[in-house]
Amino acid sequence: MASKSVSLFVLFQLLALNVVIQTSAFPTPTASADDKTVYNRQLTEERPVQEQIAEADSVKAAVQSAESKRPTASKDTESQQDLDDLTVLKSLADGQKSKEATVVPLKKEDQFVPDESDSTKSRRLAEDYDSTKNGMDYGKYQDDPESFRQVDGTPLTAEDIVQKIANKIYEEDDRGVFDRIVSKLLKLGLITDSQADTLEYQVAEALQDLISKNAKNNEIEDIESNDQETRREEDEQGSDANADTWEPPRSRYNEDEEDEEGDGDEIEDEVDRDVEEDGGDTADDTWDKDTEEGNEVRPEDGLQDLQYFPNFYRLLRSLDSDQNTQERETLITIMKTLIDFVKMMVKYGTITPEEGVSYLENLDAMIAMQTKNKLGKSLGPPDFSGPNGKNLDEDDNTKAEAAKMQKEYENLKDSTKEEQPSTETNQPGKSETYLEAIRKNIEWLKKHSKEEGKDDYDLSKLKDFMDQQVDSYIEKGIIAKDEGDTIKRIYSSL
Amino acid sequence: MKHFLSVVLFGAAVVALVSAAGTEGEISFEYHRYEELRKALVSVWLQCPTITRIYTIGESFEGRELLVLEMSDNPGTHEPGEPEFKYIANMHGNEAVGRELLIYLAQYLCNQYQQGNETIIDLIHNTRIHLMPSMNPDGFEKAASQPGEIKDWFVGRSNAQGVDLNRNFPDLDRIIYINEREGGANNHLLQNMKKAVDENTKLAPETKAVIHWIMDIPFVLSANLHGGDVVANYPYDETRTGSTHEYSASPDDVMFKSLAKAYSIYNPVMSDPQRPPCRKNDDDSSFKDGITNGGAWYSVPGGMQDFNYLSSNCFEITLELSCDKFPNEDTLKTYWEQNRNSLVNYIEQVHRGVKGFVRDLQGNPISNATISVDGIEHDITTAKDGDYWRLLAPGNYKVAASAPGYLTVIKKVAVSYSPATRVDFELESLMERKEEEREELMDWWKMMSETLNF
Repeated sequence: MASKSVSLFVLFQLLALNVVIQTSAFPTPTASADDKTVYNRQLTEERPVQEQIAEADSVKAAVQSAESKRPTASKDTESQQDLDDLTVLKSLADGQKSKEATVVPLKKEDQFVPDESDSTKSRRLAEDYDSTKNGMDYGKYQDDPESFRQVDGTPLTAEDIVQKIANKIYEEDDRGVFDRIVSKLLKLGLITDSQADTLEYQVAEALQDLISKNAKNNEIEDIESNDQETRREEDEQGSDANADTWEPPRSRYNEDEEDEEGDGDEIEDEVDRDVEEDGGDTADDTWDKDTEEGNEVRPEDGLQDLQYFPNFYRLLRSLDSDQNTQERETLITIMKTLIDFVKMMVKYGTITPEEGVSYLENLDAMIAMQTKNKLGKSLGPPDFSGPNGKNLDEDDNTKAEAAKMQKEYENLKDSTKEEQPSTETNQPGKSETYLEAIRKNIEWLKKHSKEEGKDDYDLSKLKDFMDQQVDSYIEKGIIAKDEGDTIKRIYSSL
Repeated sequence: MKHFLSVVLFGAAVVALVSAAGTEGEISFEYHRYEELRKALVSVWLQCPTITRIYTIGESFEGRELLVLEMSDNPGTHEPGEPEFKYIANMHGNEAVGRELLIYLAQYLCNQYQQGNETIIDLIHNTRIHLMPSMNPDGFEKAASQPGEIKDWFVGRSNAQGVDLNRNFPDLDRIIYINEREGGANNHLLQNMKKAVDENTKLAPETKAVIHWIMDIPFVLSANLHGGDVVANYPYDETRTGSTHEYSASPDDVMFKSLAKAYSIYNPVMSDPQRPPCRKNDDDSSFKDGITNGGAWYSVPGGMQDFNYLSSNCFEITLELSCDKFPNEDTLKTYWEQNRNSLVNYIEQVHRGVKGFVRDLQGNPISNATISVDGIEHDITTAKDGDYWRLLAPGNYKVAASAPGYLTVIKKVAVSYSPATRVDFELESLMERKEEEREELMDWWKMMSETLNF
């Protein structure tokens, strides 16, 4: 059993090595973005929050350019809060309308829209920021204040709503805008509570983008982004929802990078950002907070991201002197790019989350080895993130928490000492096995429903049933609490 | 991106090859310690949640859960008329092969079900299968923790208290032998079972848990997996005269032989007439076609097998599956291949004989009614829904259903090998009969009085 894991490890080393070599030829933004648009379509179809399908991308792009080209209407015509909020939503109709006219010139921008979140928003908001450009033709829709549909009857997309809400909040510097709008939506039954949460994340992130774009040295602690971080575990909508929690902290870091890289790289940045948050959170889903896999990709802020690659971090530290700044920055960029890449792979389903995790884990180990070989210096004890892997002692309360939970788990486990060795080597694989088993079940359910000619199996009912069963099993001592949480999380991310 | 993909795929492919510590499709053949066993069962449940359920019948002395994986189309419920089956392994902690085989079996049944294997699907839909990979997890840990490849013959055999669980069950053989001579009940011999068990301080927690389990679920057929030899052993285990070797036939000797053969026949090692004994000086003279009567092999008092037969409706046999009690991990795949078909075929034996419902004339089920077969001195009883399953070898039988306060009904039945013949009984209660007679009398009186002008 031991030999197997060693050989597995060696293999992953090779794999990592292979990939490191490959990724030195990182695809250019344009080339990859094409693929992303394609992938994006699939994702938008899957995401329950989305109502529009592929058109969402072109629509978004259309909206932003439409609004940028729109003759500005003065904000002063708004007298009531209600009207404001509604018009925020309704204004999208205008954008939608001009979709046709602006499709062609927007093709280029389209390419840089990897998915519905982040980069699109940030771009759009930059242009929307001009308060004179709200482009709201209030007069037109005043008769129908309660309508949430566009002129042509198709419903507003979530992205559009997010955009506009964020705009509104920024302009009026009032968070209440969001609450009002969301409560309206909830009342009308247009969104569910969970979608409201998602919305909140997305708006916060859009807002953060706004702020960062327009006040580069601003270190404002956004209330929402804090909330997001503490509520990180509540993802349910998959990569879509998760994307948001990454954005605020990341953008703060990226401000620095942007200064260096300039506008030309802006696109790549956003791409990186998107990928990183999405992939990272998908990876997050499959992981326990109990560091079974090692807390590799926790979004604290941009640089802290990398702290979970302790060897890499040590390498950075060793380059801390002034003359190495350039190298340092380059290394950071490369590393981030790699991470983003892996996350993107995971997000788009090209590789499984556990493969991504393994790869990243081994990447770090590889760095240690390579550093030793090439630079002739050791980075300290090699750090393979196992369940009890020693992560750097950063000031991180999530890690302390994780360590606490790890202890709890240890207590829950059988106290007989003889078990420890084999159990530990198997723990990293445990959630993988569970994920595999769940996936097989879902596949079979899908196939089975098709064969029986029924409609698609009821996923939410299955989720509820599984949650219930998991709870009862935890109670009876059949499953440990952390395992149960993993299972629930896996199911909620479906 | 394509490069990365191909590299990943290649890597994954190589990984798959490397991780072949023996794999058959999706089963990985290795020993499971307690945590791994638990994880394996949970994985099966996660893969097949609609047909499986995990539960625990209690804790071992050291607090490990005695886990059971149940497989059926409606896990968690006894469907009236659906027979209950169990496999229990590893009651001797150092007899490890059975424990692993049941884990593989669970994975196998789940995989096969999802892959559309008709036999398995039918089996799971029509049976409620309970798999307990380890009745003595404490003993197993002790045995498994021994360093080196060679495991001691005794270390880990008994539970954490040092109790040999297969000698720990109430000895009902003694009682049946007395009753045979002097008359008395021929089934359900443990009076006040619940009380007797709870107040018995000599019973290990594992034994207690299993007895409660037997009381709660109307098991029909069962097998008990061991190691140290290769044979299918059937009741009675304890000799009548107390001698060390003596053929001790039960009333269902014919059926038991048939059941034992149903297992051994698909195990090439077990049924090999040329197979040399496991150890040079072993006495395997009682082994025929891979089966043996317990007492003929050697006397075992207080065993779980006979306890099942004499305290409940369950027929149980003992399966010895390996000469080596705790063989090397890389032999596990071979043991699986040798036993897989036997394990499945034995479960199918539960669908034999006669089965049906006993109800009153209003259609209400009569539980705890007695089903007796003419010529076989062993009765069984109906379960809560009035359902019963009486395992019988092919032949012609007179089957009687009786219950206190009811008139007995006897039916003639021709039984084939398989599937079970359905025989339902409607019992008339004594009160009803009295009523009938009274009405008949009244009618006669009326007629007489009219004729004779009373």
